[in-house]
Amino acid sequence: MTESEICDRLKAALPDAVEEFESQLLDPAIRVKPARLVEACRFLRDDPSTRMHYLRLVTGVDRLPAGETPGRIEMVYHLWSYEKRHGIVLRVHLDRDNPVADTVCGVWPVANWGEREAFDLLGVTFTGHPDLKRIMMPVDWVGHPLRKDYQRPDRYHGLPTNRTAVLEQGRVQVATAEHVAKAEPVSGYMQLNMGPHHPATHGVINFLIETDGEVLRRAIPDVGYLHRGIEKISEMVGYLGTMPYTDRVDYLGAMFTNHGWALAVEKLCNIEVPRRAEFCRVIASELNRIASHQIATGALAMDLGAFTPFLHWIREREKINDIMERICGARLTYNYMRFGGVSRDIDQVTIDEIRRWLDHYEPMMLEFDRLISGNEIFIRRLANVAVIDPDDAIAYGLVGPNLRGSGLAWDVRRDEPYSIYNEFEWDVITGTGVHGVVGDAFDRYDCRLREIRESVRILRQACERIPEGEVRTKTARIKPAANEVYTRVEGPRGECGFFVVSDGTDKPYRSRFRTGSFTAMTIIEHLSPGLMIADLVALIGSLDVLAPEIDR
Amino acid sequence: MNIMHYLADLLVRSLFKADPATWPYTWIAYAVVIGVGALLAFAFVAIFAGPVTWIERRIAGRIQSRIGPNRNGPQGCLQWLADGIKCWLKEDLVPATADKPLYLAAPYLVFTGMFGAFVVLPFGAHVIAADLNVGLLYILAVTSLVVVGLLMAGWGSNSKWALFGGVRSAAQLVSYEVPSAFSLMAVVLMAGTLSTQGIVGAQGGWPWQWFVFRNPFLFAAFIMYFISAIAEGNRTPFDLPEAESEIIAGYNIEYSGMRFLFFLFAEWANMWIMAAVATLAFLGGWQIPGISPERIAEAKGWTFVGWQALSFAIFVFKGTCLVFTIIQIRWTLPRLRVDQLMITCWKYLVPLSMGSATGVLLLMALVREGGIVDWVMRGAMLLVGLLVAGAYIRKVRATFMADRDNYKKMEGRDLWYPPYRLP
Repeated sequence: MTESEICDRLKAALPDAVEEFESQLLDPAIRVKPARLVEACRFLRDDPSTRMHYLRLVTGVDRLPAGETPGRIEMVYHLWSYEKRHGIVLRVHLDRDNPVADTVCGVWPVANWGEREAFDLLGVTFTGHPDLKRIMMPVDWVGHPLRKDYQRPDRYHGLPTNRTAVLEQGRVQVATAEHVAKAEPVSGYMQLNMGPHHPATHGVINFLIETDGEVLRRAIPDVGYLHRGIEKISEMVGYLGTMPYTDRVDYLGAMFTNHGWALAVEKLCNIEVPRRAEFCRVIASELNRIASHQIATGALAMDLGAFTPFLHWIREREKINDIMERICGARLTYNYMRFGGVSRDIDQVTIDEIRRWLDHYEPMMLEFDRLISGNEIFIRRLANVAVIDPDDAIAYGLVGPNLRGSGLAWDVRRDEPYSIYNEFEWDVITGTGVHGVVGDAFDRYDCRLREIRESVRILRQACERIPEGEVRTKTARIKPAANEVYTRVEGPRGECGFFVVSDGTDKPYRSRFRTGSFTAMTIIEHLSPGLMIADLVALIGSLDVLAPEIDR
Repeated sequence: MNIMHYLADLLVRSLFKADPATWPYTWIAYAVVIGVGALLAFAFVAIFAGPVTWIERRIAGRIQSRIGPNRNGPQGCLQWLADGIKCWLKEDLVPATADKPLYLAAPYLVFTGMFGAFVVLPFGAHVIAADLNVGLLYILAVTSLVVVGLLMAGWGSNSKWALFGGVRSAAQLVSYEVPSAFSLMAVVLMAGTLSTQGIVGAQGGWPWQWFVFRNPFLFAAFIMYFISAIAEGNRTPFDLPEAESEIIAGYNIEYSGMRFLFFLFAEWANMWIMAAVATLAFLGGWQIPGISPERIAEAKGWTFVGWQALSFAIFVFKGTCLVFTIIQIRWTLPRLRVDQLMITCWKYLVPLSMGSATGVLLLMALVREGGIVDWVMRGAMLLVGLLVAGAYIRKVRATFMADRDNYKKMEGRDLWYPPYRLP
């Protein structure tokens, strides 16, 4: 169904809910009345003709009053149906001084964190939300940073918040007696912080866990330790200036965040990408995917106590880093993509180098399999642990290998094609329950491992077919007209989406990065009761969450 | 006569020209001899545990295709000294909320438990601190002291993660002591004594005289003892009490400096103890092939010293082989989950080890030692042992060969290099 058909369908069912159909936008949106939002959402989810079970993105945009128009806060909901392969954007306009909306957590559980973020950064209150509190900023922070008229407080708990003041003050005294005051035991169970600097949390994430001996009663993720406000920064540094910052969103898959950002701006500005540049993008991306999946699978093995496989993967990853250094001059934060192409060409020597490396790498994958994949202890630690069934996976917004691990064959590269991926021959990997049931931790691990092989296939074809030509189109100053766009790429941690609102200037009015780790974290609280501490570690590892990607 | 006793008497006789039986200060001589003996044993522990850390790290480096410590001294062989000195120089931190006496005492208790076991280890034909007639029982008892130490460390740190580690290790050690004791019981039944020298004496120098190849039940007991010993030593795949990815470091998380080192010291010393116990109980101990213990005892002068040295070397060699296996296992396998750990112990190892002890009893009653059936059993078990060793070597070789050419093509150098040319 096209967007207008969906709008008609919604109008027919709930005539008074629809305010306007905004077809002028790149992603056409339906504006609904705030009071009828939940109803509209539930209809779109359950109606047999729409079946939108997947809430892709929930975020907000702050609009300052401009002349006659009063200020408002727009909540944006991107819906998608895996079954029908169509999507729609819902939008509600809220009063800027007192923004209140109904929560859609009851429709899609994944909305929980998205709404918390809107509450935190934009000050939108959601009625009926189960756990409405700040997520990125500290709980007692004053103000909402993504508001356009936000003034940063000078001090927080007596600590200066800007750099000059910190330098002037010299040493900062942080821990005081009140901070280490003993917490009263409330529940009779052991409560403890797993993190923020715990070896298994893959970065600075905290889990507030409550255990009965070794068995978890619940684990509540607490994030925001790595929040750098990249979306806010992007509003200040402009479109091209944001490109290096996207590297830092996902440092293991920087090529994909680069790519997604480039796609978004190219779509806004209608920039064509030369064919050779598309090949360069694919080659660089797939190399990066291999590197990222290696870290994911290796780190999972390390979390389960097997140190050696991780280091063997690191050895192979060094070669990828060397190749990346040849391609774009950096080993980790690539900053490779440009609007309308890539920063440098991949020369023939490098392509030969990649081919030579692939010849070496394919047998090395077998080495890794021999080392750990068939290990009985490893299998028993992962099989039948933390099973996610497909319905849950969709409702909690899992994407990428986590979703495919639950048996749903959905890959953005194939199903919503971008770049030139549909020209290559490769398969979408799904979990098969090889050692347990479909959707267990081993399937997610297995999916990643087999995806590496598919990336190798794509790489071989791309190296074979890369045409001659330019790698970048000449672009004028990036100054897109006022519009909104949402683009997505298939990153190693799944769908990596970029929601960009432009206002006719050379800087984005608002941007929101939809990352796989952010939504994957929401399912942990749901899955945790009854797991053991060691299983929680396996779950986190198998979901491949990455702290900077969660917090951005 | 006990060698320590003999030495003390000799001291009194030669130095003071007195009869040790009547001289009133004999006890001082005894104390001195015991003290020197303890110091020597301590030196052995230190000298063994130290380099083993370096050897383990070099082996781990090899397994993980990296180099490992190679800077301090030739091939990095003084790394352990550097580490030790570094730990001595570090501040001995005590958390403000810790239970101080427990916290401070725990490392010593752990260390004493490990160190005490060295008293009865028969390093050579006559190289033993004290040949107690309850030797094996003594080892089991004194190493149990470690549990108390670990619990004290876990509780005294007043950290929840440390408590997790302490409780995990207590549960694990107490559980795995059952199968390890039952496996050793099979040996005790065969030897008819608890004395460590007696057990070694009941075996011979040749492999078919070792207890491990005597009959299938003892072979099984050896494997079960080895597994339980790894579990008691908190080594991978049973290293749950110090699982860094789950409970960060376990019971030693709050410790620093030398106290922290004592825990690691005890861990590496324990690795040697379990290898030594397995050697003496199952692999013939220090017995020299073709030389009977009586001949060693009758030898005089340098021949005597030579036999002692040879037996010592044999014992240490066998033990080191087992230690290497433990190290290899540690750097290859992932870790079990806590319920799987308990299932392994109580559902499989405990009944099977009981069964093996019973089986040994049955065979002792039914099969005459030295008879045809006995020899057939020994031969068959030796064959099985050789097959296991062969399969192991073949597996390692096949894995190596599979990657060799590929590695050489990419790296331009050989995957294999001889030990004397380590990088």
